[in-house]
Amino acid sequence: MNGSATATSTRTSREPQNMPVRILLVDDHPIVRQGLRTLLEGRSGWEVVGEASDGVEALEKVDVLRPDVVVLDVTMPRMNGLEACRLIQQKPKTSGLEVLFVTQHDSPQMMREALDAGARGYVVKSNAARDLLEAVEAVSQHRVFTALARSPQASC
Amino acid sequence: MKLRILLADDHEIVRRGLCSLLQKHEGWEVCGEASDGREAVEMAKQLKPDVVIVDIGMPFLNGLDTTRQLLQHDPHFKVIVLTITDSDQVIREALDAGARGFVLKSDAARDLVSAVEALQSKRMFFTPRVNDLVLAGFLDKGHAMSRNEPPNLPTLTVREREVTQLLAEGKSSKEVATLLNLSTKTVETHRSNIMRKLSLHSIRDLVVYAIKNNIIQIQMPPQLRTETPVVPQ
Repeated sequence: MNGSATATSTRTSREPQNMPVRILLVDDHPIVRQGLRTLLEGRSGWEVVGEASDGVEALEKVDVLRPDVVVLDVTMPRMNGLEACRLIQQKPKTSGLEVLFVTQHDSPQMMREALDAGARGYVVKSNAARDLLEAVEAVSQHRVFTALARSPQASC
Repeated sequence: MKLRILLADDHEIVRRGLCSLLQKHEGWEVCGEASDGREAVEMAKQLKPDVVIVDIGMPFLNGLDTTRQLLQHDPHFKVIVLTITDSDQVIREALDAGARGFVLKSDAARDLVSAVEALQSKRMFFTPRVNDLVLAGFLDKGHAMSRNEPPNLPTLTVREREVTQLLAEGKSSKEVATLLNLSTKTVETHRSNIMRKLSLHSIRDLVVYAIKNNIIQIQMPPQLRTETPVVPQ
């Protein structure tokens, strides 16, 4: 998938435009969460409902906050994002919830691992400012969105 | 007059977070943002910020060499280094490069404002671990800081360090020449000198040297899972 950003529709249960989206941010660096929050809260109707600093905390907050989209880092203490993603998928009450990885790992292998773990989207941190909004919009509509760093431009 | 801050980090999302944090402070303004070390040096020369915040792991020119170049240009620059690790070697190099502040990236949301305030008051700001190391060095009459140091390595010039980083990042001599406005022949001369000084025999050796000496940084992926864990309810 390297070299192009893709978003493909696999399921439709949300209206595409102006739907409220509840987002949980998971990253062990508060400054990264702050950057993600700044970007996402500029979008009308989207709400960052909570933050977590590792996979264990993410699992707890998914239960409590019931987000639509979990924005998840890969490398974190206690439980990494891949493990957290697999466990989120196995939870009985997470139907409709989608996981979007935002990570430093710019490799097709890691992206494949993330999608195999059940994620709907994969964005590289160095391009998050470029790709994040489009990625959240896509995965919140249950479409796959993947973009590695060398992608010329993110597009659906 | 507002305190002017230049940010240098290759991740825009991190710069957004830093901006958001710093701009809450009345009396401070982010006067510029750079996405690599070379850009940071050029912007600092033009903008003359009061404080420069540099990430260590940046492409083209890492944060430590950025700090060295900034202070070589103007010793009055006040530099805060942002780092993902406070290992002894990174601390030593940051202090040696002339950084006045040293903040762990994981603690930036908590410590960065304090660090800028410290520099604004002509003080320094370091993590507790740096303070411990410096104090240990003082109590041990300066010897503690040199414990466990790698064997003395030949000193590379500023230009050679730049070339080392770019080659270790996988760029060809021609690409390095273009980036540094040099001829390919000059870059190849630098490359030969670097290999000779460091007793290296291949680009692979050069990459290993660059990683070991914090010229480039790599992030290891998490170990892949082999069995299905129990789902917590």
